[in-house]
Amino acid sequence: MFDATFLMWLIPLLPLLASVTIAAVGRRWFPDKCHIPCIAGAVGACMAAILVFVAVAAGDEAPIVTGQNTPWISAGHVTANFSLRADGLSAVMLVMVTFIGSLIAIYSAGYMHGDPGYPRFFAAVSLFLFFMVGLVLANNFVLLYACWEGVGLCSYLLIGFWFAKPSAAAAARKAFLVTRLGDIGLFIGILILWAHSPGHSLEYDDVFRDPRHFHFGGMLFWACLCLFIGAAGKSAQFPLHVWLPDAMEGPSPVSALIHAATMVTAGVYLVARCMPLFGAEPAAQLIVACVGGFTALLAALIAVTQTDLKRVLAYSTLSQLGYMFLALGSGIGEHKLAGLAVTAAIFHLFTHAFFKALLFLGAGSVMHSMGNVIDMREFGGLRKVLPITHWTFLCGALALAGFPLLSGFWSKDEILTTTFEAWQQSAGPVGGLYGLLFFSALFTAGLTAFYTGRAYFKTFWGPEKLPPEAGHHPHDAPPLMAWPLRILAVGALGVGIVLGPFHLFAHFLDATWIKRAFGLLAEEHHANMPLMAASSVIAVVGIGLAYWMYVKQPEVAEQMSRRLATLFELSHAKFYFDELYELAIVKPMTILAHVCRIIDAYLLDGLVDLLGQAPALMGFLVRPVQNGLVQYYALLMTLGLAGFVLSILLR
Amino acid sequence: MSHPYAQPLADLFPHLVPEIVLVLCACMIFVSGLFQTDRRLHHAAALASLFFALIRALPPVEPPTSDAAFAIPLLFDSLANLTRVLAIATGIVFILLSWNDMADRHAADHDACFLIIVAGLCLAGASNDLVTLFLALEMISIPTYVLLYLPRHDDASQEASIKYFLLSIFSSGLLLFGFSYLFGLTGTTNIAGILQVFYNAEDAKPVAGLAQVAMLTVAAGLGFRITAVPFHFYAPDVFQGTSTSGAAFLSYVPKIAGFVALLRVFGFVVPAAVNMPSDHALVGMAVSDQVPTLFWFLAALTMVIGNILALLQDNLKRLLAYSSIAHAGYMLVALTSAPYLSGADASTSGVASLLFYLIAYGTMTFGIFAVIALLDRPERPVETVDDLAGLAKSHPGIALMATALLLSLIGFPLTVGFTGKFFVFFGAISVQGPLGWLYPTLAVVGVLSAAAGAWYYLRIITVMYLRTAVKPIETRGAAPALLALIVCVILTFALSVPPGANWIMSAARETSERQPPLKAPAPERGLVQ
Repeated sequence: MFDATFLMWLIPLLPLLASVTIAAVGRRWFPDKCHIPCIAGAVGACMAAILVFVAVAAGDEAPIVTGQNTPWISAGHVTANFSLRADGLSAVMLVMVTFIGSLIAIYSAGYMHGDPGYPRFFAAVSLFLFFMVGLVLANNFVLLYACWEGVGLCSYLLIGFWFAKPSAAAAARKAFLVTRLGDIGLFIGILILWAHSPGHSLEYDDVFRDPRHFHFGGMLFWACLCLFIGAAGKSAQFPLHVWLPDAMEGPSPVSALIHAATMVTAGVYLVARCMPLFGAEPAAQLIVACVGGFTALLAALIAVTQTDLKRVLAYSTLSQLGYMFLALGSGIGEHKLAGLAVTAAIFHLFTHAFFKALLFLGAGSVMHSMGNVIDMREFGGLRKVLPITHWTFLCGALALAGFPLLSGFWSKDEILTTTFEAWQQSAGPVGGLYGLLFFSALFTAGLTAFYTGRAYFKTFWGPEKLPPEAGHHPHDAPPLMAWPLRILAVGALGVGIVLGPFHLFAHFLDATWIKRAFGLLAEEHHANMPLMAASSVIAVVGIGLAYWMYVKQPEVAEQMSRRLATLFELSHAKFYFDELYELAIVKPMTILAHVCRIIDAYLLDGLVDLLGQAPALMGFLVRPVQNGLVQYYALLMTLGLAGFVLSILLR
Repeated sequence: MSHPYAQPLADLFPHLVPEIVLVLCACMIFVSGLFQTDRRLHHAAALASLFFALIRALPPVEPPTSDAAFAIPLLFDSLANLTRVLAIATGIVFILLSWNDMADRHAADHDACFLIIVAGLCLAGASNDLVTLFLALEMISIPTYVLLYLPRHDDASQEASIKYFLLSIFSSGLLLFGFSYLFGLTGTTNIAGILQVFYNAEDAKPVAGLAQVAMLTVAAGLGFRITAVPFHFYAPDVFQGTSTSGAAFLSYVPKIAGFVALLRVFGFVVPAAVNMPSDHALVGMAVSDQVPTLFWFLAALTMVIGNILALLQDNLKRLLAYSSIAHAGYMLVALTSAPYLSGADASTSGVASLLFYLIAYGTMTFGIFAVIALLDRPERPVETVDDLAGLAKSHPGIALMATALLLSLIGFPLTVGFTGKFFVFFGAISVQGPLGWLYPTLAVVGVLSAAAGAWYYLRIITVMYLRTAVKPIETRGAAPALLALIVCVILTFALSVPPGANWIMSAARETSERQPPLKAPAPERGLVQ
């Protein structure tokens, strides 16, 4: 039919080619047509990804692996190949990344139109796509780490895209530094895996073959913990979550692409990929679940009071990522639940990518027509002004809120089911903890519905209000922006109902990845009807409450915020995490830096200067030997030879 | 009835076509120089003969494996082939580089002498007899005296050529002295024969001391050619005194001859006919463990002294002379660790990394001298480092290429200088055994001295880019020298990464495939207890 391995190489190479083309000649030859290579690369990669997906689905359960014999780094005991791997997990991720990436590239062509950095933007987006698909396709930890750093770099470049704006530059730096903190964890985790894996191999198959290799001295726990720190940094989980809301300083398509749909899910992907290790280490799983559940709740609480539309969505992203980690962390007990857990997490990752990208693009569209104003207090009642944006945003919001039968509903339900099962199947305090997490997740679901409804109603309902920056005739999204919105809206509505009720997604993952990765079949998928009903009610109640508070009785919201002033303040100030970090980390570091600078300038520089003078001084001492007299040279040659001969004979 | 070795001797002549062509062409140029003084004509004739020789030299020749190797004076094995191709290629680049660096009336003598030098270099690479080797080396030395004396007639130039002449004769004397001892000890001048005698001489202890003295004297004589400390004193004075092309020549061509001769006489490359006990140590270096130790000191001294003295130089050619000494030190590191590294593994064969570094150094040093040859004019000389100020403004392309070459001399990754240093130092680190710690230490000394040395190369880059010239360089430079520069820059990059690097490395590895591994430095092994 077609050569899947060739296509697997094509997927990263097309965006790379696009990026290099734009960077090399785009600025000079076609500065206002730079979106064309980017879109072509993304769409081409998407086609290839779909074909690879078909090949994976049609093939037997073995993953398609290519490039095992292309050595990349070989130093001592470390060998890394440029080997790529396509199994169920990576195929799903590939299709998701390239599909959303294509739509966002098309949308950006309209959104970024006229920006002076047009070529730079598309070069960076293409480069990001290259690293992201590389991350997903990698078949060993070294390649994964390289691409992991690559997406971090692109994220930095794109958050700071408007680098002349101090807040954007600061946000980019913050994102880079905080995720680097996580990357250190990932790096240490990989080193632990390397030290204990059979034959010091870092290929996935060798590492995951038998987790017992790592039981030496409890190393498995530490390896999992370090990997999870890396995942938490990239996926913005507590306590490394502070960078993501600030990252909204980047252009909206970037927020949609990198900070909602793709890059931030890399952490979820990593933990799902390493599930054979995590599943064998319940202690690590408990940490993953707790961090995930806590982040979900915390971010939802913060989202309730934010006034910046994009920040609401950013906290919602944190919260949904927390859900995914909660699902992953619920995969305990000898792999029985692990299959269920990864299915739920990846399913939610998949549906979330659609509706969250849609919401961000919708927010971008609002921002576009409101003259770059994104504060919800500045505008309102936009449903007549921006009809396309309104309807598509509504689809996304309902899906996020978990409205029955929409995509978010199905995937969130699977997560709740998994956590519920983990509570039921484990005993003692651990079981109790999972129970607590389950109820917290239910509560979070209600909060999610509420803040989503709040954002939607505040933006599109109520009396029409336009900021002065919008001008007299704000226009709705142009076709180049409208079509990606429509396509994503269809996805947000339909993906769940197509894949959810009959567990098509779960069966696909079972057949192509889970059965092989975990060595046994996942637990039978069954719908938990009471749970579904409960979550439906919660979602509808949440939305209804938002409707009542922000459309019917707008004064209630005011009264509530005054009555619960402390809680409101706490939430509004994001629980003072930024201030806490400033005080606990940034300040001491600054002082340390100053001290180091003084030591460096006065002590070390002096020493180094002294050392630097030493060779010159020595040369100065030796130089008189070179006096230009040929008889002297001959004498020295003879003496040198005599010295050598004597040292041999007299030994 | 003919002599049994008459046929192998007669068989040698077809192999000698390149050398014969070069020498015949040299004679023709000598004669035509009496009537014609157009330098382009002579350069073209020289280039034509070099290209012809290159084409004839490219197909590899199978060395004889029979006992004839013990009788014939020349052995065309893979080392001979590699040396020959390298010598002729060097010759082509050198003719381009020196295109405008002489008066018309000297061009014929210059080119003819140089062709004879190239022929001598080819013969030195193939020598299988001490007498042939000595004659080949003299075939290089004697035209060199002429070459150094020709271009300039001022006091400095005459002093330089006289100094070189006297000290070169002195070193030839040392070499001949060592050769005579070797002949006296073994009863033959045939190198294969000498190696065979040493391999058989398990119980020949009384002569061992003498053998070592002979080896050392030979090393000293050749050390002059490779500018090893303490036989390097002539280099800075002579480089400074002679013309640019003369300095370029001295920095490289004698090094090829010296190192190839060391490989031959010291038994790093053992002819196939020699019957070698499988567990036996190498001749020469392994006569006792003291000889390697002395080479250790030779390498360390050469690297350190070369780099440190270069730090103080303001004169470009003097600086490059010390740089040339320092690089000879790196090559000596490869030579020092060579007896203890098996020839099987590409990354660790000492002989292969030596030859690789030799080729790498050629591209770098010829490139830098090409830059000077391009820019140096009597009305606006490029003598000191400061004379290069503002080059980035007046000649951005040349400045960029010079930067690439200087980075390669520093050993910056992605340049051939890095690849070469990597092989050399990696090889030294890989030596294991009781005395094995000596070799990683040597690598550390090398890396440290190279790091100190980076400073003076970086200084040149800084001057080119950050300083402005009082009197900018205006010359456009000769096209042939520019061509030589471009070839060197391309090679600097092309040979640094797999296709090019592997190609050179495998050719270099072939030369020493017969080399037996010596597991570890064995203190009690050899002729002296």
